[in-house]
Amino acid sequence: MITTVTGRRVLALTAAASALALALAGCSRGGTPSDGGETDGPAAASPGITDTTLLFGINTPLTGTTAGPGNCTADGAIAYFGVKNAEGGIEFGDGKTRTIEIRTYDDEYNPEKSASNFNQMVADGVFAAGLGLGTPTNRAWRDAAAEEGVPQVLVMTGDPIFSTREDGYMTLGLVPTYMQEGAAFGEALVADGQPHQVAVLYQNDDYGKGYVQGFKDAIEGESNIEIVKELSYEPTASSLEGQITELAATGADVLFHAVSVTPLAIADLQKVIALGWKPIVFLPSNTASPGGILTPAGVTGDTFPGVYSAGFAEAAAAPPFAESEAGQAYFEAIAEYVTGHEQDGKSFPHCVWSWMGAQILEEAFKTMTEPTRESFYEALTSITGLETDFGFGPIDTTVDGSPAVQTVVLQKFNGAGYTNVDVVG
Amino acid sequence: MNAFGTFVQLIVDGLAQGSLYAALALALVLVNQATGLINFAQGGMAVLGAYIGMSVGNLVIPSVGPIAGVLIGIVVAVVVSFFIGALIERFIMRRFQGGDEDTSVVATIGLLTLITGLVGIIWGFNFIPYPFFFGSGESFTIAGIAISVWSLTTFLTIVALMIVLQILFQKTKLGLGLRAVADNPRSAALSGVRVGGMLMIGWGLAAALGTIAGILLAAKVQLNPNNFDAILVYALAAVIIGGLDSPIGAVVAAWGIAIIENLAGTYLEFIGHDLKVAVPFILLFILLILRPQGLFGRKRVVRV
Amino acid sequence: MNAVVEFFGRTWVRGVVLAIALVVLLVLPLVSDPHTNQTISHIAVFAVAVLGLNIVMGYTGQVSLGHIFFVGLGAYCAIIPIYYWWGGSLAEGAIVIGFVLSLVIPGVVGLVVALAAVRLRGLALAMVTIALPIIGVPLAKRLGDLTGGNEGLSIRRLAYEGSDGETYRGNPFGAPSWSGLDNDQWQYYLAVLLALLFFALAYFLVRGKFGRAFAIVKANEAVAGSMGIDPYRYKVLAFTISGIYGGAAGFLYVVVLQYTSSETLSFGHSIELVIATIVGGAGSIVGSILGGAFYVLVPQLTNAWGLSQYTLVAQGVIILLVLFLLPGGLASLPRVIRRLTGRRRGGQHVGSRERAESTSGNTKN
Repeated sequence: MITTVTGRRVLALTAAASALALALAGCSRGGTPSDGGETDGPAAASPGITDTTLLFGINTPLTGTTAGPGNCTADGAIAYFGVKNAEGGIEFGDGKTRTIEIRTYDDEYNPEKSASNFNQMVADGVFAAGLGLGTPTNRAWRDAAAEEGVPQVLVMTGDPIFSTREDGYMTLGLVPTYMQEGAAFGEALVADGQPHQVAVLYQNDDYGKGYVQGFKDAIEGESNIEIVKELSYEPTASSLEGQITELAATGADVLFHAVSVTPLAIADLQKVIALGWKPIVFLPSNTASPGGILTPAGVTGDTFPGVYSAGFAEAAAAPPFAESEAGQAYFEAIAEYVTGHEQDGKSFPHCVWSWMGAQILEEAFKTMTEPTRESFYEALTSITGLETDFGFGPIDTTVDGSPAVQTVVLQKFNGAGYTNVDVVG
Repeated sequence: MNAFGTFVQLIVDGLAQGSLYAALALALVLVNQATGLINFAQGGMAVLGAYIGMSVGNLVIPSVGPIAGVLIGIVVAVVVSFFIGALIERFIMRRFQGGDEDTSVVATIGLLTLITGLVGIIWGFNFIPYPFFFGSGESFTIAGIAISVWSLTTFLTIVALMIVLQILFQKTKLGLGLRAVADNPRSAALSGVRVGGMLMIGWGLAAALGTIAGILLAAKVQLNPNNFDAILVYALAAVIIGGLDSPIGAVVAAWGIAIIENLAGTYLEFIGHDLKVAVPFILLFILLILRPQGLFGRKRVVRV
Repeated sequence: MNAVVEFFGRTWVRGVVLAIALVVLLVLPLVSDPHTNQTISHIAVFAVAVLGLNIVMGYTGQVSLGHIFFVGLGAYCAIIPIYYWWGGSLAEGAIVIGFVLSLVIPGVVGLVVALAAVRLRGLALAMVTIALPIIGVPLAKRLGDLTGGNEGLSIRRLAYEGSDGETYRGNPFGAPSWSGLDNDQWQYYLAVLLALLFFALAYFLVRGKFGRAFAIVKANEAVAGSMGIDPYRYKVLAFTISGIYGGAAGFLYVVVLQYTSSETLSFGHSIELVIATIVGGAGSIVGSILGGAFYVLVPQLTNAWGLSQYTLVAQGVIILLVLFLLPGGLASLPRVIRRLTGRRRGGQHVGSRERAESTSGNTKN
């Protein structure tokens, strides 16, 4: 037994505290904390939706090296729903008109932060989440979302796992998979019928590998296309001149340039020009912008035999966009509802994609019959023939394995913008 | 391009890229010579200077034209950086002078975080082009080797800076004063050297030097708050390999690192371009085992 | 004010405070919401990570800028066996294997790195530690078939075969049905209890012979040799222990997040860890907990207030303020308050603590 005075005091006070604590523990917490819904009809509402509002969470990098595109992934939706809310809200499929509240969470492109943001979203009671950028970050909470029953929709990553309909997962990708883009170019090359030697430069992660995989799948078995060299790079690299030099030495007539970092892409193209190498160039959709990449690199319509990209939406930076009615409405909304001086809606393509994503969400809202996540997801994955403002084709979300945007069009640079083409040449 | 041409091209490119590492390395050497510290925030300060140059340049170009505008931007940036560096030394780093080295290092790490954050808030995290005398793509060809105007400019600038610094330290009174203060502040003070002033000048010069590096880098890859994060590591390696007290050593080491990295990435399959970032560390390690004071450095004696 | 400070200085009061804190810690998850539990679990993970960094940086004075590498490596060591073997006959055995590996492998790596680098001073040593995450990330991607590369591995919904031969999805760190707990509560207990265990081990380590040896090596290496303490041997030991603790933090990371990727061990996090260590209090057990809290809470708070672009600025300002005003970190706050409010108790005892105010070491060589 404890005999000292000190010891007895410690024991006594600890015992008292423990008793108090255990008494408290007796009334353990019950129920889910974020039960903000009201029962509406036969089905109890999911968290995050009331008769008048719906809360949507965007978990995306708002700071850090990918902050540019990251902010854009939220801007388009914020602008779009800003307009809709000002008009009084959206009429849902269950008859109620609701305004959409967007809440953004900064994950700094850090998967750990992304996962803890998800916990925060659950605590805040979001109805659904999505539109976020990045594969490792979206992957970090994919399983958690499935466990909690939160839809993870219209994510901005070409990783095909988000478009695979799997039991228990309510996910849907927005943008075409990297494979689709790479395949579009591969098919066009094959269709050309001419022999081609291809030099490949890809980012050393799922993005770059996805592009290459799609390309390779499309050219498989075709005797006229040969990949002569494949080189990778780390996204943190400060210069890719070594790789470009090595690739140029192969004398290949096609350069497959799966690079997603803007200044590296610009420097690469400049190096290619400087070396006197004139291949056909393929650029991925997020580093193909005339204003952001080609003009700074000094690329004109005649510099290369052809600069191709697989596009699926209009480019906000291109002149025809600003002249169109939809484009003007877009820019007005951005100016009105998006804060931040560098958020102009056109520095990155993701702003436009986010706007399209918002339109797809709106369609799902308009057709869902119950204020539940299940009904929402079912509505979302049953959309066919939806025309969005800036897409190249209708949206069809019913196909398992495909993201929402499926129409990938091969485009060729014409000196000022891109024109849709069918074949390389 | 034939195999030999490729080889030479890689070396030429390595010299250009290495000049960027060298620019930052020179600033690190300068701070070390003047205050005995390693400034982890050097890259961040360089980026800040470059952003200032960009803003000022863009501000005046409409009135005075591109060439003069860019020049004014650079001059203002360098001068302002000098003062920023001096003030940082006086009001932040001075506190840790004479104390434990590790505390100062952590302070510079904190400084780096702070500066990066401030730059991000003021100018945003998107890439911003830097208005420069010529486009980053301009180049010419000599004997089949492509050399960009930017590469040449950077290379020559670094050589000039290296010579200037070497002269400064070895031949001028200022340089002697800076080194004396770093070596032994108390006896320097007793000899009449104004210790505080020397420290501020040292940091100011380093900041100005770093800004030049920052502007050169921005001219090539556009402005971004995290521009120097990767380069800082190469610069640190160059400084150690070349010897903490030798400007020539730092520059030569920087060139060497960049060239070997390029060659290893291209010709050594098992390293490839993704792991070639290991090259400076491998070189560092080998060198430190063989010659701990660096290629050009002096041996340090520790008295107990 | 003085009386309050004095009151808490008494040993028995401290014992009670500690006991009450433990009780609260144990009872909390039963009454609070999942988000709070998850936050505290995260803090536990990074408190152990900071503790590991403290052992080598705070106690032994060796700067280590690559500590996150050990955390990431430990996370991989933990998650890979679970990912591949939990669904099979090994079941929970895979978790045990993961736990053991997450301690052993980072420890061995720490040992090897230390043996190679221990004779280097200052910057050179720092560079070797920097090399770890910088090479580690592309290496993890190159071994992508095993590590999942950039996309990472998730074990939150692992397929396994049930007793009826059907395939189910389960979470190796989900709460078992006999506990009656929710997932977040179960993970909380696992993480917090393991963290407490590691903290207790560290406490005894630094109080004992090793701790004293570390302190002497930190203060004056050249003299240590003449006192019969081989500085190299103890530096190697410190790095090895630091590696083991980093690995342990990695295991806890997997317990709480059930996910890891090559991004986990990127260099930027190392810098954040160093800042967190100093802010919490280098060379202090309590400081490690505070450091872990700093690491987790600052980004969370700026996010919650919609000020996420100020995270970096906040971290920079706080570390500089700490270095200026409170070099011993937040853990030294009571000590500083006591000193500021005057009235010394047993002069020598308090005085000697005062002298050790700087973040690491006192004499400059």
